[in-house]
Amino acid sequence: MNEATNNSIVIENMNKWYDDFQVLKDINLTIKQGERIVICGPSGSGKSTLIRCLNHLEIYQEGKITVNDVHVFNGMKNPEAIRVEVGMVFQSFNLFPHLTVLDNCILPQLRVLGLDKVKARETAMTFLERVKIPDQADKYPAQLSGGQQQRVAIARALCMKPQIMLFDEPTSALDPEMVNEVLDTMLELAESGMTMVCVTHEMGFAAKAADRVIFMDAGQIIEDSTPTEFFENPKHERAKEFLGQIL
Amino acid sequence: MFDFRFYEIWRSEEFVQVLFEGAFNSFWLTTVGGIFGFILGTGLALLQDKSVFVGLRLLARSYVEIIRNTPFVVQMFFVAFGLPILLDMQWSFFASALLAIMLNFSAYFSEIIRSGIDSTPKGQIEAAYSLGFKKYDLVKDIILPQALEKVYPSLVSQFVFLFLTTGLISEIGIEDITWAGRFISDRNFRDFEVYLVLSAIYMSMSWMFILILNGCRRKLFPWRAEK
Ligand SMILES: Nc1ncnc2c1ncn2[C@@H]1O[C@H](COP(=O)(O)OP(=O)(O)O)[C@@H](O)[C@H]1O
Ligand SMILES: [Mg+2]
Repeated sequence: MNEATNNSIVIENMNKWYDDFQVLKDINLTIKQGERIVICGPSGSGKSTLIRCLNHLEIYQEGKITVNDVHVFNGMKNPEAIRVEVGMVFQSFNLFPHLTVLDNCILPQLRVLGLDKVKARETAMTFLERVKIPDQADKYPAQLSGGQQQRVAIARALCMKPQIMLFDEPTSALDPEMVNEVLDTMLELAESGMTMVCVTHEMGFAAKAADRVIFMDAGQIIEDSTPTEFFENPKHERAKEFLGQIL
Repeated sequence: MFDFRFYEIWRSEEFVQVLFEGAFNSFWLTTVGGIFGFILGTGLALLQDKSVFVGLRLLARSYVEIIRNTPFVVQMFFVAFGLPILLDMQWSFFASALLAIMLNFSAYFSEIIRSGIDSTPKGQIEAAYSLGFKKYDLVKDIILPQALEKVYPSLVSQFVFLFLTTGLISEIGIEDITWAGRFISDRNFRDFEVYLVLSAIYMSMSWMFILILNGCRRKLFPWRAEK
Protein backbone atom coordinates (compact mmCIF):
# COMPACT_ATOMS: atom_id res chain seq x y z
CA MET A 1 0.00 0.00 0.00
CA ASN A 2 1.21 3.45 -0.83
CA GLU A 3 0.81 6.12 1.75
CA ALA A 4 -1.75 8.71 0.77
CA THR A 5 -0.19 11.94 -0.44
CA ASN A 6 -1.70 15.11 -1.72
CA ASN A 7 -0.26 14.46 -5.12
CA SER A 8 -2.80 13.67 -7.82
CA ILE A 9 -0.33 12.56 -10.43
CA VAL A 10 3.30 11.57 -10.17
CA ILE A 11 5.30 10.62 -13.25
CA GLU A 12 8.83 9.41 -12.68
CA ASN A 13 11.49 8.79 -15.30
CA MET A 14 8.90 7.69 -17.80
CA ASN A 15 9.81 6.53 -21.30
CA LYS A 16 7.51 5.30 -24.00
CA TRP A 17 8.12 3.88 -27.44
CA TYR A 18 6.00 3.06 -30.44
CA ASP A 19 8.06 0.20 -31.82
CA ASP A 20 11.52 1.75 -32.09
CA PHE A 21 10.27 5.35 -32.15
CA GLN A 22 10.61 6.95 -28.73
CA VAL A 23 7.58 9.17 -28.29
CA LEU A 24 8.15 10.20 -24.64
CA LYS A 25 11.57 10.76 -23.16
CA ASP A 26 12.41 10.79 -19.49
CA ILE A 27 9.22 12.46 -18.31
CA ASN A 28 9.17 13.68 -14.71
CA LEU A 29 6.11 15.53 -13.53
CA THR A 30 4.28 15.91 -10.24
CA ILE A 31 0.81 17.41 -10.12
CA LYS A 32 -0.73 18.28 -6.78
CA GLN A 33 -4.34 17.95 -5.88
CA GLY A 34 -6.29 20.91 -7.21
CA GLU A 35 -3.51 22.05 -9.51
CA ARG A 36 -4.36 23.21 -13.00
CA ILE A 37 -1.80 22.36 -15.61
CA VAL A 38 -1.72 23.45 -19.23
CA ILE A 39 0.39 21.39 -21.60
CA CYS A 40 1.34 22.90 -24.93
CA GLY A 41 3.86 22.29 -27.64
CA PRO A 42 4.08 21.62 -31.33
CA SER A 43 1.97 18.97 -32.99
CA GLY A 44 3.51 15.52 -32.64
CA SER A 45 5.48 16.40 -29.52
CA GLY A 46 3.73 13.72 -27.46
CA LYS A 47 1.15 15.73 -25.49
CA SER A 48 -1.78 13.44 -26.22
CA THR A 49 0.30 10.35 -25.68
CA LEU A 50 1.40 11.65 -22.30
CA ILE A 51 -2.06 12.31 -20.92
CA ARG A 52 -3.42 9.10 -22.39
CA CYS A 53 -0.90 7.19 -20.33
CA LEU A 54 -2.41 8.69 -17.19
CA ASN A 55 -5.69 6.79 -17.52
CA HIS A 56 -4.14 3.74 -19.12
CA LEU A 57 -5.49 4.36 -22.60
CA GLU A 58 -1.85 3.94 -23.60
CA ILE A 59 0.79 1.79 -22.01
CA TYR A 60 4.35 2.91 -21.30
CA GLN A 61 7.50 0.83 -21.08
CA GLU A 62 9.74 2.49 -18.48
CA GLY A 63 9.37 4.52 -15.35
CA LYS A 64 6.40 4.88 -13.06
CA ILE A 65 3.08 6.68 -13.13
CA THR A 66 1.03 7.07 -9.98
CA VAL A 67 -2.47 8.50 -10.12
CA ASN A 68 -4.31 9.15 -6.88
CA ASP A 69 -1.69 7.00 -5.18
CA VAL A 70 -2.45 4.07 -7.47
CA HIS A 71 0.34 2.68 -9.60
CA VAL A 72 -0.75 2.69 -13.27
CA PHE A 73 1.20 0.11 -15.25
CA ASN A 74 1.07 -2.16 -18.25
CA GLY A 75 -0.94 -5.26 -17.39
CA MET A 76 -2.68 -3.80 -14.35
CA LYS A 77 -5.73 -5.81 -13.33
CA ASN A 78 -8.32 -3.15 -12.94
CA PRO A 79 -7.68 -0.02 -14.98
CA GLU A 80 -11.40 0.84 -14.65
CA ALA A 81 -10.84 1.80 -11.03
CA ILE A 82 -8.40 4.52 -12.01
CA ARG A 83 -10.40 5.60 -15.05
CA VAL A 84 -13.42 6.36 -12.89
CA GLU A 85 -11.34 8.85 -10.97
CA VAL A 86 -9.95 10.45 -14.10
CA GLY A 87 -12.35 12.12 -16.52
CA MET A 88 -11.25 12.72 -20.08
CA VAL A 89 -12.46 15.12 -22.73
CA PHE A 90 -11.37 14.62 -26.33
CA GLN A 91 -10.79 16.90 -29.25
CA SER A 92 -13.52 15.13 -31.24
CA PHE A 93 -16.06 15.03 -28.35
CA ASN A 94 -16.72 11.29 -28.79
CA LEU A 95 -20.27 11.44 -27.51
CA PHE A 96 -22.19 8.23 -28.09
CA PRO A 97 -24.26 9.10 -31.18
CA HIS A 98 -26.94 6.51 -30.52
CA LEU A 99 -27.81 7.86 -27.08
CA THR A 100 -29.55 11.08 -26.19
CA VAL A 101 -27.59 13.74 -24.36
CA LEU A 102 -29.21 12.63 -21.13
CA ASP A 103 -28.48 8.95 -21.76
CA ASN A 104 -24.88 9.77 -22.63
CA CYS A 105 -24.63 11.07 -19.09
CA ILE A 106 -26.71 8.33 -17.48
CA LEU A 107 -25.40 5.13 -19.06
CA PRO A 108 -21.83 5.32 -17.71
CA GLN A 109 -23.20 5.88 -14.22
CA LEU A 110 -25.36 2.78 -14.52
CA ARG A 111 -22.69 0.54 -16.02
CA VAL A 112 -19.62 1.75 -14.20
CA LEU A 113 -20.83 3.14 -10.90
CA GLY A 114 -23.78 0.76 -10.62
CA LEU A 115 -26.16 3.57 -9.68
CA ASP A 116 -29.90 3.30 -10.16
CA LYS A 117 -31.63 5.22 -12.92
CA VAL A 118 -33.31 7.82 -10.74
CA LYS A 119 -30.11 8.81 -8.98
CA ALA A 120 -28.13 8.77 -12.23
CA ARG A 121 -30.68 10.97 -13.94
CA GLU A 122 -30.57 13.47 -11.12
CA THR A 123 -26.79 13.70 -11.33
CA ALA A 124 -26.94 13.96 -15.10
CA MET A 125 -29.36 16.88 -14.96
CA THR A 126 -27.26 18.62 -12.32
CA PHE A 127 -24.20 18.58 -14.54
CA LEU A 128 -26.11 19.38 -17.72
CA GLU A 129 -27.33 22.46 -15.88
CA ARG A 130 -23.78 23.24 -14.84
CA VAL A 131 -22.68 23.26 -18.46
CA LYS A 132 -25.84 25.25 -19.28
CA ILE A 133 -27.43 22.78 -21.61
CA PRO A 134 -30.30 21.11 -19.70
CA ASP A 135 -32.82 22.05 -22.41
CA GLN A 136 -31.01 19.81 -24.91
CA ALA A 137 -31.19 16.73 -22.70
CA ASP A 138 -33.48 14.73 -24.97
CA LYS A 139 -31.70 15.47 -28.21
CA TYR A 140 -29.17 13.28 -29.93
CA PRO A 141 -25.56 14.49 -30.24
CA ALA A 142 -25.84 14.96 -34.01
CA GLN A 143 -28.50 17.59 -33.40
CA LEU A 144 -26.17 19.78 -31.34
CA SER A 145 -23.48 22.24 -32.34
CA GLY A 146 -19.85 21.35 -31.72
CA GLY A 147 -19.63 23.62 -28.70
CA GLN A 148 -22.75 22.09 -27.20
CA GLN A 149 -21.45 18.59 -27.83
CA GLN A 150 -18.20 19.37 -26.12
CA ARG A 151 -20.03 20.77 -23.10
CA VAL A 152 -22.09 17.59 -22.93
CA ALA A 153 -18.87 15.59 -23.08
CA ILE A 154 -17.60 17.58 -20.10
CA ALA A 155 -20.86 16.99 -18.22
CA ARG A 156 -20.71 13.28 -19.01
CA ALA A 157 -17.21 13.05 -17.59
CA LEU A 158 -18.19 15.04 -14.50
CA CYS A 159 -21.14 12.74 -13.80
CA MET A 160 -18.63 10.09 -12.81
CA LYS A 161 -17.44 12.45 -10.02
CA PRO A 162 -13.80 12.25 -11.05
CA GLN A 163 -11.06 13.83 -9.00
CA ILE A 164 -8.95 14.65 -12.02
CA MET A 165 -9.98 15.93 -15.44
CA LEU A 166 -7.87 15.52 -18.56
CA PHE A 167 -8.54 17.65 -21.63
CA ASP A 168 -6.96 16.87 -24.98
CA GLU A 169 -7.28 19.97 -27.16
CA PRO A 170 -10.97 20.32 -26.31
CA THR A 171 -11.46 23.41 -28.48
CA SER A 172 -9.31 22.55 -31.49
CA ALA A 173 -12.15 21.02 -33.49
CA LEU A 174 -14.55 23.87 -32.82
CA ASP A 175 -15.58 26.79 -34.96
CA PRO A 176 -14.07 29.96 -33.47
CA GLU A 177 -17.39 31.31 -32.19
CA MET A 178 -17.88 28.20 -30.06
CA VAL A 179 -14.48 28.13 -28.43
CA ASN A 180 -15.43 30.49 -25.65
CA GLU A 181 -18.48 28.62 -24.40
CA VAL A 182 -16.27 25.59 -23.84
CA LEU A 183 -13.44 27.58 -22.30
CA ASP A 184 -15.91 29.29 -19.94
CA THR A 185 -17.09 25.89 -18.79
CA MET A 186 -13.50 24.86 -18.18
CA LEU A 187 -12.77 28.07 -16.32
CA GLU A 188 -15.69 27.44 -14.00
CA LEU A 189 -14.42 23.96 -13.39
CA ALA A 190 -10.97 25.32 -12.66
CA GLU A 191 -12.46 27.64 -10.03
CA SER A 192 -14.18 24.70 -8.37
CA GLY A 193 -10.81 23.27 -7.37
CA MET A 194 -10.71 20.26 -9.67
CA THR A 195 -7.30 18.89 -10.61
CA MET A 196 -7.02 19.63 -14.31
CA VAL A 197 -4.53 18.70 -16.99
CA CYS A 198 -5.34 20.51 -20.22
CA VAL A 199 -3.56 20.08 -23.48
CA THR A 200 -4.48 23.29 -25.25
CA HIS A 201 -3.07 26.12 -27.25
CA GLU A 202 -5.56 28.59 -25.81
CA MET A 203 -3.06 30.81 -24.07
CA GLY A 204 -5.80 33.07 -22.74
CA PHE A 205 -7.13 30.11 -20.81
CA ALA A 206 -3.63 29.26 -19.63
CA ALA A 207 -3.12 32.80 -18.39
CA LYS A 208 -6.40 32.85 -16.50
CA ALA A 209 -6.61 29.35 -15.12
CA ALA A 210 -3.28 27.56 -15.13
CA ASP A 211 -0.99 27.22 -12.15
CA ARG A 212 1.73 25.88 -14.39
CA VAL A 213 2.41 25.67 -18.10
CA ILE A 214 4.30 22.67 -19.41
CA PHE A 215 5.94 22.98 -22.77
CA MET A 216 6.78 19.81 -24.65
CA ASP A 217 8.92 19.28 -27.68
CA ALA A 218 9.94 16.04 -29.37
CA GLY A 219 8.74 13.87 -26.51
CA GLN A 220 10.36 15.87 -23.73
CA ILE A 221 9.16 18.36 -21.18
CA ILE A 222 11.43 21.34 -21.77
CA GLU A 223 9.65 24.02 -19.76
CA ASP A 224 7.66 23.80 -16.57
CA SER A 225 6.85 27.24 -15.28
CA THR A 226 4.12 29.63 -14.19
CA PRO A 227 2.09 31.18 -17.01
CA THR A 228 3.64 34.59 -16.44
CA GLU A 229 7.16 33.20 -16.62
CA PHE A 230 6.30 31.17 -19.64
CA PHE A 231 4.75 33.99 -21.61
CA GLU A 232 7.12 36.77 -20.61
CA ASN A 233 10.35 34.93 -20.38
CA PRO A 234 10.41 31.49 -22.00
CA LYS A 235 13.77 29.87 -21.38
CA HIS A 236 14.07 27.79 -24.49
CA GLU A 237 14.40 28.82 -28.08
CA ARG A 238 11.75 26.26 -29.16
CA ALA A 239 9.26 27.71 -26.69
CA LYS A 240 9.90 31.23 -27.97
CA GLU A 241 9.37 30.08 -31.52
CA PHE A 242 6.21 28.27 -30.55
CA LEU A 243 4.79 31.28 -28.73
CA GLY A 244 5.70 33.44 -31.70
CA GLN A 245 3.67 31.19 -33.93
CA ILE A 246 0.51 30.89 -31.89
CA LEU A 247 0.20 34.31 -30.26
CA MET B 1 -47.29 -15.91 -79.80
CA PHE B 2 -47.41 -18.14 -76.77
CA ASP B 3 -50.92 -18.63 -75.51
CA PHE B 4 -50.88 -17.77 -71.79
CA ARG B 5 -53.53 -19.62 -69.84
CA PHE B 6 -53.30 -18.40 -66.30
CA TYR B 7 -56.82 -19.60 -65.60
CA GLU B 8 -55.33 -23.09 -65.63
CA ILE B 9 -54.04 -22.06 -62.22
CA TRP B 10 -56.92 -19.96 -60.91
CA ARG B 11 -59.66 -22.34 -61.91
CA SER B 12 -58.56 -24.91 -59.33
CA GLU B 13 -59.38 -24.03 -55.77
CA GLU B 14 -56.78 -26.56 -54.66
CA PHE B 15 -54.02 -24.88 -56.69
CA VAL B 16 -54.81 -21.48 -55.25
CA GLN B 17 -54.87 -22.87 -51.76
CA VAL B 18 -51.54 -24.66 -52.28
CA LEU B 19 -50.01 -21.38 -53.45
CA PHE B 20 -51.32 -19.52 -50.40
CA GLU B 21 -50.10 -22.16 -48.02
CA GLY B 22 -46.77 -22.24 -49.80
CA ALA B 23 -46.41 -18.49 -49.46
CA PHE B 24 -47.35 -18.71 -45.80
CA ASN B 25 -44.80 -21.46 -45.10
CA SER B 26 -42.05 -19.65 -46.96
CA PHE B 27 -42.90 -16.51 -45.05
CA TRP B 28 -42.80 -17.87 -41.55
CA LEU B 29 -39.88 -20.23 -42.07
CA THR B 30 -37.80 -17.40 -43.49
CA THR B 31 -38.91 -14.96 -40.82
CA VAL B 32 -38.31 -17.23 -37.86
CA GLY B 33 -35.15 -18.70 -39.39
CA GLY B 34 -34.02 -15.14 -40.17
CA ILE B 35 -34.56 -13.91 -36.62
CA PHE B 36 -32.65 -16.80 -35.09
CA GLY B 37 -30.07 -16.54 -37.84
CA PHE B 38 -29.60 -12.90 -36.94
CA ILE B 39 -29.11 -13.70 -33.28
CA LEU B 40 -26.66 -16.49 -34.06
CA GLY B 41 -24.94 -14.30 -36.66
CA THR B 42 -24.46 -11.55 -34.10
CA GLY B 43 -22.96 -14.07 -31.73
CA LEU B 44 -20.64 -15.40 -34.43
CA ALA B 45 -19.52 -11.88 -35.34
CA LEU B 46 -18.75 -11.08 -31.71
CA LEU B 47 -16.93 -14.37 -31.20
CA GLN B 48 -14.75 -13.73 -34.23
CA ASP B 49 -13.95 -10.13 -33.38
CA LYS B 50 -14.12 -9.81 -29.64
CA SER B 51 -13.51 -13.19 -28.06
CA VAL B 52 -10.39 -13.42 -25.95
CA PHE B 53 -10.27 -17.16 -26.57
CA VAL B 54 -8.39 -17.94 -29.76
CA GLY B 55 -10.08 -21.35 -29.97
CA LEU B 56 -13.55 -19.81 -30.04
CA ARG B 57 -12.51 -17.27 -32.64
CA LEU B 58 -11.17 -20.01 -34.85
CA LEU B 59 -14.25 -22.12 -34.38
CA ALA B 60 -16.59 -19.28 -35.32
CA ARG B 61 -14.40 -18.31 -38.25
CA SER B 62 -14.30 -21.91 -39.58
CA TYR B 63 -18.05 -22.25 -39.21
CA VAL B 64 -18.68 -19.11 -41.25
CA GLU B 65 -16.20 -20.14 -43.92
CA ILE B 66 -17.73 -23.60 -44.26
CA ILE B 67 -21.28 -22.30 -44.55
CA ARG B 68 -20.39 -19.58 -47.02
CA ASN B 69 -18.44 -21.93 -49.24
CA THR B 70 -20.84 -24.85 -49.49
CA PRO B 71 -24.22 -25.00 -51.22
CA PHE B 72 -27.37 -24.52 -49.20
CA VAL B 73 -28.80 -27.83 -50.47
CA VAL B 74 -25.86 -29.71 -49.05
CA GLN B 75 -26.22 -27.95 -45.71
CA MET B 76 -29.91 -28.73 -45.65
CA PHE B 77 -29.39 -32.41 -46.48
CA PHE B 78 -26.77 -32.56 -43.77
CA VAL B 79 -29.19 -31.11 -41.25
CA ALA B 80 -32.08 -33.29 -42.44
CA PHE B 81 -30.27 -36.62 -42.91
CA GLY B 82 -26.72 -36.42 -41.60
CA LEU B 83 -27.17 -34.76 -38.21
CA PRO B 84 -30.01 -37.05 -37.07
CA ILE B 85 -27.71 -40.05 -37.64
CA LEU B 86 -24.73 -38.40 -35.96
CA LEU B 87 -26.77 -37.34 -32.94
CA ASP B 88 -29.05 -40.37 -33.00
CA MET B 89 -32.09 -38.11 -32.77
CA GLN B 90 -35.15 -37.60 -34.96
CA TRP B 91 -36.82 -34.39 -35.96
CA SER B 92 -39.30 -33.26 -38.58
CA PHE B 93 -38.38 -31.93 -41.98
CA PHE B 94 -39.91 -28.64 -40.90
CA ALA B 95 -37.44 -28.47 -38.07
CA SER B 96 -34.64 -29.34 -40.49
CA ALA B 97 -35.68 -26.62 -42.89
CA LEU B 98 -35.87 -24.06 -40.10
CA LEU B 99 -32.51 -25.12 -38.69
CA ALA B 100 -30.88 -25.09 -42.12
CA ILE B 101 -32.20 -21.60 -42.85
CA MET B 102 -31.01 -20.33 -39.51
CA LEU B 103 -27.54 -21.85 -39.82
CA ASN B 104 -27.16 -20.65 -43.40
CA PHE B 105 -28.39 -17.09 -42.80
CA SER B 106 -26.29 -16.69 -39.67
CA ALA B 107 -23.00 -17.03 -41.54
CA TYR B 108 -23.89 -14.33 -44.06
CA PHE B 109 -25.28 -12.05 -41.39
CA SER B 110 -22.18 -12.44 -39.25
CA GLU B 111 -19.93 -11.24 -42.07
CA ILE B 112 -22.02 -8.11 -42.49
CA ILE B 113 -22.25 -7.44 -38.76
CA ARG B 114 -18.50 -7.86 -38.46
CA SER B 115 -17.93 -5.17 -41.03
CA GLY B 116 -20.06 -2.87 -38.86
CA ILE B 117 -18.16 -3.78 -35.71
CA ASP B 118 -14.83 -3.21 -37.44
CA SER B 119 -15.85 0.25 -38.51
CA THR B 120 -16.46 1.47 -34.95
CA PRO B 121 -14.63 4.79 -34.61
CA LYS B 122 -11.66 4.51 -32.27
CA GLY B 123 -12.89 7.53 -30.36
CA GLN B 124 -16.02 5.67 -29.25
CA ILE B 125 -13.96 2.92 -27.69
CA GLU B 126 -11.61 5.37 -26.03
CA ALA B 127 -14.48 7.43 -24.67
CA ALA B 128 -16.12 4.37 -23.17
CA TYR B 129 -12.87 3.10 -21.66
CA SER B 130 -12.01 6.52 -20.30
CA LEU B 131 -15.36 6.52 -18.48
CA GLY B 132 -14.47 3.17 -16.91
CA PHE B 133 -16.47 0.79 -19.11
CA LYS B 134 -15.53 -2.84 -19.09
CA LYS B 135 -15.19 -4.55 -22.44
CA TYR B 136 -18.47 -6.43 -22.11
CA ASP B 137 -20.52 -3.26 -21.62
CA LEU B 138 -18.52 -1.46 -24.29
CA VAL B 139 -19.43 -4.13 -26.84
CA LYS B 140 -23.04 -4.50 -25.76
CA ASP B 141 -23.99 -0.87 -25.23
CA ILE B 142 -21.73 1.10 -27.54
CA ILE B 143 -20.23 -0.98 -30.33
CA LEU B 144 -23.09 -3.31 -31.21
CA PRO B 145 -25.96 -0.80 -31.47
CA GLN B 146 -23.90 1.49 -33.66
CA ALA B 147 -22.64 -1.37 -35.82
CA LEU B 148 -26.14 -2.73 -36.38
CA GLU B 149 -27.44 0.67 -37.35
CA LYS B 150 -24.66 1.05 -39.87
CA VAL B 151 -25.13 -2.34 -41.54
CA TYR B 152 -28.91 -2.52 -41.32
CA PRO B 153 -29.49 -1.82 -45.04
CA SER B 154 -26.96 -4.51 -46.00
CA LEU B 155 -28.62 -6.95 -43.62
CA VAL B 156 -32.00 -6.26 -45.15
CA SER B 157 -30.82 -6.84 -48.71
CA GLN B 158 -28.90 -9.95 -47.70
CA PHE B 159 -31.99 -11.25 -45.95
CA VAL B 160 -34.14 -10.73 -49.03
CA PHE B 161 -31.54 -12.37 -51.24
CA LEU B 162 -31.36 -15.37 -48.92
CA PHE B 163 -35.15 -15.55 -48.81
CA LEU B 164 -35.05 -16.13 -52.57
CA THR B 165 -32.76 -19.14 -52.06
CA THR B 166 -35.08 -20.85 -49.58
CA GLY B 167 -37.03 -22.53 -52.40
CA LEU B 168 -34.58 -25.37 -51.97
CA ILE B 169 -36.37 -26.52 -48.84
CA SER B 170 -39.00 -27.97 -51.16
CA GLU B 171 -36.37 -30.63 -51.92
CA ILE B 172 -37.01 -32.20 -48.53
CA GLY B 173 -40.75 -31.92 -48.99
CA ILE B 174 -41.48 -28.64 -47.25
CA GLU B 175 -44.60 -27.24 -48.85
CA ASP B 176 -43.29 -23.80 -49.63
CA ILE B 177 -43.89 -21.59 -52.67
CA THR B 178 -41.54 -23.54 -54.91
CA TRP B 179 -43.11 -26.81 -53.82
CA ALA B 180 -46.54 -25.38 -54.65
CA GLY B 181 -45.29 -24.48 -58.12
CA ARG B 182 -44.06 -27.96 -58.77
CA PHE B 183 -47.30 -29.41 -57.39
CA ILE B 184 -49.38 -27.35 -59.79
CA SER B 185 -47.25 -27.70 -62.89
CA ASP B 186 -47.09 -31.46 -62.40
CA ARG B 187 -50.88 -31.44 -62.68
CA ASN B 188 -51.74 -28.77 -65.25
CA PHE B 189 -48.50 -28.86 -67.31
CA ARG B 190 -48.53 -25.08 -67.56
CA ASP B 191 -44.92 -24.64 -66.32
CA PHE B 192 -44.43 -21.25 -67.92
CA GLU B 193 -47.49 -19.66 -66.31
CA VAL B 194 -46.86 -21.37 -63.01
CA TYR B 195 -43.29 -20.14 -62.71
CA LEU B 196 -44.32 -16.65 -63.78
CA VAL B 197 -46.82 -16.64 -60.95
CA LEU B 198 -44.16 -17.98 -58.57
CA SER B 199 -41.83 -15.17 -59.59
CA ALA B 200 -44.56 -12.65 -58.95
CA ILE B 201 -45.20 -14.12 -55.52
CA TYR B 202 -41.50 -14.17 -54.62
CA MET B 203 -41.14 -10.61 -55.82
CA SER B 204 -44.09 -9.27 -53.89
CA MET B 205 -42.94 -11.06 -50.76
CA SER B 206 -39.47 -9.57 -51.17
CA TRP B 207 -41.00 -6.13 -51.41
CA MET B 208 -43.13 -6.83 -48.41
CA PHE B 209 -40.08 -7.86 -46.38
CA ILE B 210 -38.27 -4.72 -47.48
CA LEU B 211 -41.24 -2.54 -46.60
CA ILE B 212 -41.63 -4.10 -43.17
CA LEU B 213 -37.91 -4.02 -42.38
CA ASN B 214 -37.45 -0.46 -43.57
CA GLY B 215 -40.47 0.49 -41.53
CA CYS B 216 -38.80 -0.97 -38.44
CA ARG B 217 -35.68 1.03 -39.03
CA ARG B 218 -36.86 4.24 -37.44
CA LYS B 219 -38.14 2.37 -34.40
CA LEU B 220 -34.96 0.33 -34.02
CA PHE B 221 -32.55 3.19 -34.52
CA PRO B 222 -34.31 6.37 -33.39
CA TRP B 223 -31.11 8.43 -33.37
CA ARG B 224 -30.81 8.01 -37.11
CA ALA B 225 -34.11 9.65 -37.89
CA GLU B 226 -33.27 12.64 -35.73
CA LYS B 227 -30.10 13.63 -37.51
N1 LIG C 1 -0.50 4.57 -32.22
C1 LIG C 1 0.64 5.16 -32.65
N2 LIG C 1 1.57 4.42 -33.29
C2 LIG C 1 2.72 4.99 -33.72
N3 LIG C 1 3.04 6.28 -33.56
C3 LIG C 1 2.15 7.06 -32.92
C4 LIG C 1 0.90 6.54 -32.44
N4 LIG C 1 0.21 7.55 -31.86
C5 LIG C 1 0.99 8.63 -31.97
N5 LIG C 1 2.15 8.36 -32.61
C6 LIG C 1 3.25 9.30 -32.88
O1 LIG C 1 3.70 9.81 -31.65
C7 LIG C 1 4.02 11.16 -31.74
C8 LIG C 1 3.28 11.94 -30.69
O2 LIG C 1 1.90 11.92 -30.98
P1 LIG C 1 0.87 12.72 -30.07
O3 LIG C 1 1.04 12.33 -28.67
O4 LIG C 1 -0.47 12.52 -30.68
O5 LIG C 1 1.33 14.21 -30.28
P2 LIG C 1 0.59 15.57 -29.94
O6 LIG C 1 -0.63 15.23 -29.16
O7 LIG C 1 1.57 16.35 -29.16
O8 LIG C 1 0.29 16.22 -31.24
C9 LIG C 1 3.70 11.58 -33.17
O9 LIG C 1 4.90 11.60 -33.90
C10 LIG C 1 2.78 10.51 -33.66
O10 LIG C 1 2.96 10.33 -35.03
MG1 LIG D 1 -2.67 15.56 -29.71
